[in-house]
Amino acid sequence: MTPTVSASGLSLRYGGTRALDDVSLRLAPGVTGLLGPNGAGKTTLLRVLATALPADHGAFTVLGNDPGTARGRQDVRRALGYLPQTPGFHPDFTAFEFVDYVAILKELTDRTARHREVRRVLDEVDLTDVRGRRIKKLSGGMRQRVALAAALVGDPGFLVLDEPTVGLDPEQRMRFRELIAQAGEGRTVLLSTHQTEDVAMLCHRVLVMAGGRVRFDGTPAELTARAAGRVWSSAERAPAAKAGWRTGTGTFRNVGDPPPGAELLEPTLEDGYLLTLDGEGAQEVTAA
Amino acid sequence: MSAVMETAPTVVRAEPGRPWRAVTDLALFEARRLLTRIPVLFAFLVYVAWIVWRTPDSYDGYPALQDVDRATQGGPVLVGFAVLLSVNHAVLRAKRRDTERHFAVLVVQPWRRTAAHVLSVVPVAAVVASCVALQFTWEALKPGAVGRGSVGELLVGPLTVLLFGAAGVLLARLVASVAAAPLLIVFSLFLFTFVFSASSSSSGTEEDGTRWLYPMTIEVGGNAVPSDLLGRPAAWHALYLLALALTVGLLAVLLGGGLRIRTVQGALVGMLAVTVLGASAQMTGVPAATIAARERASATPQKEQTCVERDKSTYCAFPEWSPRAGTWADTVKRVQSLTGGTAHDQKLLVRQRIEVRYGLGSDSTLDPSATPHQVTVGTDWGGNRVPEFSVAVAGVLVTGDEKTATGDLCDGRMVTIMWLGLAGRPDPVGDLARVRLDDGTSGSSLVISPTEPLYMTGGQTSVVRQLLDQPRQTVAAKMTSHWAELTAPKVTTAQVARLLGVEAPKEADKCL
Repeated sequence: MTPTVSASGLSLRYGGTRALDDVSLRLAPGVTGLLGPNGAGKTTLLRVLATALPADHGAFTVLGNDPGTARGRQDVRRALGYLPQTPGFHPDFTAFEFVDYVAILKELTDRTARHREVRRVLDEVDLTDVRGRRIKKLSGGMRQRVALAAALVGDPGFLVLDEPTVGLDPEQRMRFRELIAQAGEGRTVLLSTHQTEDVAMLCHRVLVMAGGRVRFDGTPAELTARAAGRVWSSAERAPAAKAGWRTGTGTFRNVGDPPPGAELLEPTLEDGYLLTLDGEGAQEVTAA
Repeated sequence: MSAVMETAPTVVRAEPGRPWRAVTDLALFEARRLLTRIPVLFAFLVYVAWIVWRTPDSYDGYPALQDVDRATQGGPVLVGFAVLLSVNHAVLRAKRRDTERHFAVLVVQPWRRTAAHVLSVVPVAAVVASCVALQFTWEALKPGAVGRGSVGELLVGPLTVLLFGAAGVLLARLVASVAAAPLLIVFSLFLFTFVFSASSSSSGTEEDGTRWLYPMTIEVGGNAVPSDLLGRPAAWHALYLLALALTVGLLAVLLGGGLRIRTVQGALVGMLAVTVLGASAQMTGVPAATIAARERASATPQKEQTCVERDKSTYCAFPEWSPRAGTWADTVKRVQSLTGGTAHDQKLLVRQRIEVRYGLGSDSTLDPSATPHQVTVGTDWGGNRVPEFSVAVAGVLVTGDEKTATGDLCDGRMVTIMWLGLAGRPDPVGDLARVRLDDGTSGSSLVISPTEPLYMTGGQTSVVRQLLDQPRQTVAAKMTSHWAELTAPKVTTAQVARLLGVEAPKEADKCL
């Protein structure tokens, strides 16, 4: 399959910190999950791919366009839908006005067609009934859907979603997952998240980042398989475990190298993720 | 049974290569919002209310359109301030709401978005232009309207709004705080109120060309003058304001990310040059030809005027004022109908005169004419000007010429003049107060006339009041029958009172 996004050797430093360190990837249509602990470089990678931030080194293309040139950057932006981590809103705008405003900034210049498109995306995210309501009067989940509608307007070929489900309640998160799955039909979606359930449920592929590097690139099943035979149950916390926590049944679920004769458990994607981080993110779980 | 087929809505994608179309769309979007902001709505409400309240009675119903065009320039300043505030708020919106990072990856670049904000002021300026047109048309349709307006002067209001709007955008690009715009407005008002007022002695005169650098140029005092004597560089000033607004707007675009855009750089340099050209062209002072024309119009108006015959008299006016001859003739006819002797059929020459040799702002009065039976009329009409002219006509009919009626008259003829001038008016006692400098109806006072004032003593005032309280026809009959005595030089006020059958004053006549 022809990749929508192709990047090689992307590097970026913030002062003395390597935010991105020789990142290479190829993204094809469908939803790709991007996992990683805080400070792993996920948002930086997303911002570079969204042309919000130039990389120090490396190159990438989106749908064949090179953002290294002014014209190429504009072409990338025409093909891009971007939902930032904390999207800002103009609270006095109605939902319709806000998406219409973004549509204008995306060069949708035929007013009638643009309004039709705005209505379409608002319908797609199930906001038709509140499209005339001011954003300041919408709930957090509705606002997030307004932001998604703004990202979807103009039917971008490449959709970048930076932790879109943060702060949503379980019901809203489920609704959002449906929308992302729908958005991933026929287009390339790069979804940054801390929620391994999101990846397990939505993504055909997953990237794990830590320390500015891609530590894993494969399917969710392959990531889960990394933990096969490395998750076990015990009555006490196992000192050798890379991560371990008491479950609701009162026993400990441990991840790491099990002792001989340990009672092995079915691994999850989260187990695979923790083992991939190899201590970098596992420490957080242990501490918690 | 019928089947309903649902079709999926068609997806709409961007149309590359039409960036300026997106800018105009964005400008329209912002303009719609700008026009519904509370400060702008409030300013428009006040502005329109001011037009509707003021226009019906302005200029006493007799506007000179070359003054009306300038009078349209004040109201838009309020709208300008509201636009400055609101557009500044709109530019800072993305920063305040933290959408800058998100919008930075959209196709329309920040400098084009800044340009859209500048362009969003254009529809507001167009609405102001409509209000200006409404105000001007309203005045022009009044039956007493004369003269002609200047498109350049009429454009000053809308262009001021455009300039203030561009300044609001520039300010947002310089200072990322919403507090800056209100502070700038307060500072501007302070500057206008204190600094400009303090220097008004020089800034209000024609010699001071720098006054044209302000958006609105105020000329202190002065009556209406023929359009071709104004010497105001209206077209240059409009061009200067337009170029200045565009320069400020382009500077904002430059600071909004267009620093490396050659088109913006080129346009900025071009507009700066036009601004300098406009500024210098309007500051060159009054052209020599206009000064010569003012000299001619003041010293030898007869060479510049057209005359018409009405009833027995001749009315000579500057061409723009020719339509006023009818209203002057009505006044002359009314005064003359109350006179006796030869005055009743006296042929008068009513000549319009102005004094603009010392500049339009000068308050020099006209010298009374020594030409027999010539009455001076000014360029303003309606309101107090009518009884003032009435008194002047009566003065010439009683004494024979203006010079005698004004300077040398200190006897009982003043009673006759005042009664003749006021008796035929709808509110003679009210007019008595209006033509007197003290606005009173007792005691001594100066009486305003188109040339120098007349002087009436307290005794004369008392007699005139008694006469005005009596039926007009009764007094008119006595006036006609005693005309020769009443208009004889040196007749005393006491004698006049006795002849007309009212109580004579105790005090003797005296000269000023």
